[in-house]
Amino acid sequence: MAELPDRSLTHKMGLTREEITRRKEFLELDDKDVERLRGLHDLAGQYANAVIEEFYNHLLGFREGREFFRDAAVLERVKVAQKKYFLELTGGSYGESYVESRLQIGLAHERINLPIQLYLGMYNFYLRAIASRFLDAQKAKPAEAFQNFLSVLKLVFFDMGLAIETYIHERESTIVTQQEAIRELSTPVLRLRDRLLIMPIIGVIDSHRASQLTQHLLQRIRTDRAKVVVMDITGVPTVDSAVANHLSQAVQASRLMGATVIVTGLSAEVAQTLVRLGVDLTKVRTVGDLQEGIEEAEQLLGYELARPPAAEKRDDPA
Amino acid sequence: MNSRARRPPKNAMTPPDKSDPMHVPILKQGPYLIASIQSALTDSDLFQLRDDLVERVGRARSRGVIIDVTVLEVMDSFACRVLRDLVNMIKLRGAEAVIVGIQPEVAFAMVQLGLSLEGAVTALDLEEGLAYLDRQVGGGRGRGR
Repeated sequence: MAELPDRSLTHKMGLTREEITRRKEFLELDDKDVERLRGLHDLAGQYANAVIEEFYNHLLGFREGREFFRDAAVLERVKVAQKKYFLELTGGSYGESYVESRLQIGLAHERINLPIQLYLGMYNFYLRAIASRFLDAQKAKPAEAFQNFLSVLKLVFFDMGLAIETYIHERESTIVTQQEAIRELSTPVLRLRDRLLIMPIIGVIDSHRASQLTQHLLQRIRTDRAKVVVMDITGVPTVDSAVANHLSQAVQASRLMGATVIVTGLSAEVAQTLVRLGVDLTKVRTVGDLQEGIEEAEQLLGYELARPPAAEKRDDPA
Repeated sequence: MNSRARRPPKNAMTPPDKSDPMHVPILKQGPYLIASIQSALTDSDLFQLRDDLVERVGRARSRGVIIDVTVLEVMDSFACRVLRDLVNMIKLRGAEAVIVGIQPEVAFAMVQLGLSLEGAVTALDLEEGLAYLDRQVGGGRGRGR
């Protein structure tokens, strides 16, 4: 069954054939169970519709359930998919393609944000429904029925493991993408004039980001031969002693490379917290806002801003 | 850092040099002295540089000194202390001193170790250092003695 494409979920989530085997071993899901499950296929076919109908009636009895299935057409489609799923439980083939289809189903439910407790609740409902039917079918041999039930139980736990894993996998990959996005966003260093850089910092600064940001800044000081850097922290929501420490490290490292850093945009709250925390930022040059920062930087670089005489005349009608 | 490749292996330059420290070339450029470090320095090399420079400042009656550390890939606390002392000694002898060419990686590592060369003036590179001295000393480089 090696024909699964590389971009299949099974591959993406690193579920190798050995891993699948190992999991089955852990659940003690063996050939005997597979045999029993296969033997149940006809029986399952007889009650599948009834069980699924019962389940959705049960589900729709809850507000959470109703919210997901407002549309009758969707509900019908889901029921068909559900039946296929249900019959696969006794399909007798539990290899890679089985795993893939389980993962796909898990993913579909994650995508529509179905709460995991409803998902697990469904398994519970099925197990109970199946258990009573097994007993009914084999009244004379309850022990046999119980063995059958245990086989189903093993497989269901195997499925549940996969379902939960898709949920976790999806959320984790969201976190990873977001972290990358933050990293990308984190350090724009812009050249405003010859030898003048500005660096608007937006968002939370943690130590990882701070060191990345500092290294990036230092590289740019080198390549742009910057003498002055205006670092604007208006967009940093909270500045505590750790953040202040990171900032002053960036300032000192820049100084070692001969560049002056002007920090702008310390809000009133930030100023209050810093003083209350006793953070010493006296070595850091701070200025009210970005405009003042740039003006001061230009002054340091020896620029003088003047309007051309023509503009002055236009402003002044006298 | 391609200078890493050119540098001789570490063990080749540590122990035997102890008795015969490497002399950092000190160039005279008008009223300024330029100490241009060519490779990683051992502790005794650093002392040698300090002694040479403090002595030369007086002999050459220099107005400013530039210490170029561009090739250094590491600056530990010892090197920082020697350099800071050196800068202060040069000031006592009536000259200005600038340390130039600290690399981004080195600067970052230094602040992480809490080394900031307090009190020493730093500049991006040799050109910046010379410009700084010109501003400080007042006279142009052309008016050398």
